[in-house]
Amino acid sequence: MPRRDRSATPDAAAVQMTSVRKVYGKGAGAVTALDGVTITIPRGTFTAVMGPSGSGKSTFLHCAAGLDTPTSGTVLLGGTDLSGMSEVRLTELRRSRVGFVFQAFNLVPSLDVLRNIELPLRLSGTRTDRARLEEIIARVGLTGRTRHRPAQLSGGQQQRVALARALVTRPEVIFGDEPTGALDTATGRDVLTLLREAVDALGQTVVVVTHDPVAAGYADRVLFLADGRIAGTLDAPSADLVAEHMAGLGGRV
Amino acid sequence: MLSLAWHTLRSRKGAFAGAFVALMCAAALITACGVLLETGLRGHIAPERYAGAPIVVGADQQVHWTKHKKHKVKTKSKPLTERAWLSADVADRIARVPGVTKVVPEVTFPARTAHGTAQGHAWESAALTPFTLAAGRAPRTAAEVVADARAGVRPGDTIGVLATEAPRTYRVVGVTAQAAPRQENLFFTGQEARRLAGRPGQVSAIGVFPASAVSAVRAALRGTPAEVHTGESRGALEFADASKARVTLVSMGGALGGTSLLVAILVVVGTFTLTIEQRRRELALLRAIAATPRQVRKMIGREALLVGTGAGLAGAAGGLFVARWLRSLFVGHGVMPPNLGLVLSPFPMAAGLAATVLAAWAAARLSARGTVRLRPAEALAEAAVERRRPPVARTLAGLAVLAGHVTLLVVLRALDVEAAATPVTFLAVVLGAFAVALLGPVLARAATALLAVPLRLSRVSGHLAAANGRAGTRRLASVITPLTLAVGMTCTILFAPATVADAATRQASAGVRAGHVLTGRVPGAGELSRLPGVRAVTAMVPTSIRVGQGKYAAQGVTPAGLTETIDPGVRAGSLDGLAHGGVAVSANAAGHMHARLGTELNVTLGDGTPLRARVAAVYGRGLGFGDVLLPYDVVAAHVDDPLPRQVLVAGGSADALRRAVARYPGVRTAPAAQAAGQRPDTEVNLVIMGLIIAFTAIAVVNTLAMATAERSREFALLRMVGTTKRQIHRMLRLETLSVTLTGVVLGTAIALATLSAYGAGMTGSARPAFPPPAYLGVVAALTVLALLATAIPGRLALTVHPPEALGARET
Repeated sequence: MPRRDRSATPDAAAVQMTSVRKVYGKGAGAVTALDGVTITIPRGTFTAVMGPSGSGKSTFLHCAAGLDTPTSGTVLLGGTDLSGMSEVRLTELRRSRVGFVFQAFNLVPSLDVLRNIELPLRLSGTRTDRARLEEIIARVGLTGRTRHRPAQLSGGQQQRVALARALVTRPEVIFGDEPTGALDTATGRDVLTLLREAVDALGQTVVVVTHDPVAAGYADRVLFLADGRIAGTLDAPSADLVAEHMAGLGGRV
Repeated sequence: MLSLAWHTLRSRKGAFAGAFVALMCAAALITACGVLLETGLRGHIAPERYAGAPIVVGADQQVHWTKHKKHKVKTKSKPLTERAWLSADVADRIARVPGVTKVVPEVTFPARTAHGTAQGHAWESAALTPFTLAAGRAPRTAAEVVADARAGVRPGDTIGVLATEAPRTYRVVGVTAQAAPRQENLFFTGQEARRLAGRPGQVSAIGVFPASAVSAVRAALRGTPAEVHTGESRGALEFADASKARVTLVSMGGALGGTSLLVAILVVVGTFTLTIEQRRRELALLRAIAATPRQVRKMIGREALLVGTGAGLAGAAGGLFVARWLRSLFVGHGVMPPNLGLVLSPFPMAAGLAATVLAAWAAARLSARGTVRLRPAEALAEAAVERRRPPVARTLAGLAVLAGHVTLLVVLRALDVEAAATPVTFLAVVLGAFAVALLGPVLARAATALLAVPLRLSRVSGHLAAANGRAGTRRLASVITPLTLAVGMTCTILFAPATVADAATRQASAGVRAGHVLTGRVPGAGELSRLPGVRAVTAMVPTSIRVGQGKYAAQGVTPAGLTETIDPGVRAGSLDGLAHGGVAVSANAAGHMHARLGTELNVTLGDGTPLRARVAAVYGRGLGFGDVLLPYDVVAAHVDDPLPRQVLVAGGSADALRRAVARYPGVRTAPAAQAAGQRPDTEVNLVIMGLIIAFTAIAVVNTLAMATAERSREFALLRMVGTTKRQIHRMLRLETLSVTLTGVVLGTAIALATLSAYGAGMTGSARPAFPPPAYLGVVAALTVLALLATAIPGRLALTVHPPEALGARET
């Protein structure tokens, strides 16, 4: 699979976090959301991030994806150091090298499916590759629905549109923030299968924050977070193993 | 980017409707003002009376002065307030010009008949229109007249005429075939006309025939004060008051246009802020996935441009209708002569469109600031919930604007001239509202904290209303601003004239010593003094004069026995000086003229005649008696209508007086003296400023409806957990009442502060007129409006079946 590596060495990790700390607020009311996280996420893998509420999952995702800047430590995305980047440069980086699938409200309601998918390309002024666009639309199973508005789609279909939008720029990493959290089990599975395919067939890197052990079962590796620290990892996980591990962390699942 | 903006607009019509309406109103108002302004600057008046004379010569109807500014010398001109007359010699001079075949001198004077005020002329000058006889003959004796076709009389009838002296009965000997479209004319013999005009040796205009003589006439008159008019410019001479109307149009157009532009920006910022507030989630998503802050700003800017262009085009077209409507209003109130047609050119429409587009764009960029600067992670996190703390920069900006408001109030305290004080007054109110807009979140928090206590008395609805108030301070802030503006503007517009008028009336009634007041055009004041018991009779004729470049309201008063009838609050000198040709000035005016007791003033009378007069007295009650008091005869000889408009009588019995004036049409005994210097166009001003009031009211409805319509999900949730529709309606009503109360308190505070400063400057007393019935009426009307503006969209939002509303995806 061809990659568009611009600044990184060819075998750099997709995400490399070193001693990342994130503190919200100041003084007595300060909350440490991430407390010295060091982790490497290799290319072409599917990683699930799990942890009880308040463990720092969302902050982890935001820092890794350049949505937020760490208080200290460094984040390398595809070998590019995000520290000290301006908001504009971070945005440019996000739109070309990061794809997002959020839990809900992923789409701009006034735009139809096709325009939502094209949005990152349009905003970066890149020309749309028709063939690739159609291939992606077919892959996520939206052929024939490109002129629908988000409000005319089911929740699962909306997540597919979000996934197509994430794929269209061939990003370094696709981040998912509870991408199946608002879906029923069967629809959720479809979306997870599509994410798995993106890794296996397209060689994409996927990082998903979830609290669902079943969802984590689709990953190559699970990272457990607790109190802002990495509390363990689990390779080739099954849903049962994950659930067991989570129970050990003592958090609510 | 443009297509993205377009798609957003199409699918969010509702959210942009508010901004669209506000912008459209602004465009309409600005266009209408532009048309008025242009009409004032370039309008022409078709001649009526002089329509039949190809060339009309008249005196220069303007006063000129030169201004020395560094190395430049600027000449400034202002229209005279009374007609300037020309020496009759000029007619002889024109008659000698080669090529001139006929010269028709004209005199003009007001002649009141039983059915209105006609223009009196000599039959010899009938050719100027021309008027020809349809029946009867020309007048031969002083007691004969020719009436025009409008008068509805026939030869042989008699009519009573009150011209410039005691009324007389004339016999109609002829009726003309023609009538001027908008004025009545009455023709006397030449001798009688000249006598009634009371300007021996002078003419008001000279008609010259034929048209081909114009250049020769011009050449012959070069260097004299006479001016040669042909074509449309004859109308300017005929309707001398038209130039006054033009000045009024220009100043009104400017004030209304400027104020509505400022109000528009404020209103549109408010509606855009609400729209953007409602789209936070979508904007956050855009920021997260792909858009730089610049791109989001651009997108919002483009949306605004699209809305502004659409609204601007619609409003500019509508503005033409507003201008027409205003014109008919002005004509109806006599502020604008009926034959001053509107000047229609693309410029006002272009200005309306441009101003609107610019206002929309600026408003959008301004309201997008906070949202766009957010980091996407913060934006995503707080998209659903409200931001907690108002940004420091906004609060600081609000305090700065508040400081500006206070500064303007200080400036306003020092302004004692209507023309300067009025625009500053409105600017101060708008600035106050701007400060409220910026400090909105802080004020809303304070207000909700205060109001939560009484609200909680109602267990369900009130409790909910209080909670919503706390949670939605930004929404509240957007709603409080238009309410504040509406209250502040309305009170200021309604009560500013009253503030001055009240003070003037107070001064006038405190300063009148005479027991009886006659109003109307009162002839024969001299006869009244012969009635038994009458000690003094003071005739008063109003005019306006200039001292240097400043214009002052003045009155001519009978000097004899003046102290028996009025007490203008003399601070220095004595009113007796008027009997020896002196003048009295108010302390206020004396300050402007840099004059003191004994100063020799260079006065320009209403018709442009210069006069040197010594200041014989300085008095305090300038609002009640006008800025300058001059001897009656001095003024009467230089005004269009020399009859007194008011006569004060000391001593004598009311019955005897009433009998004495019974035969004069329109003369009445009044309970109190009328104050001088009251502007007659207050009513018109009210109507015009009423447009701004209407505009702010639209803004209130707009904002409240927008803020309520977005809450259907919230209502659905409340319904699902068991809140009844009635409780929700009650909650909405309580919320609306609390924001209205907050707006009323803030608006009233702004209006009170502004009017106090205005009063302090204009009347010397910081006591603003705040008549309770009118004020309560304003508050009640606004409350009803606000309740309706929330109840209707609230009802609509509640018609959706709750599970559906909840299930509806965020759109």
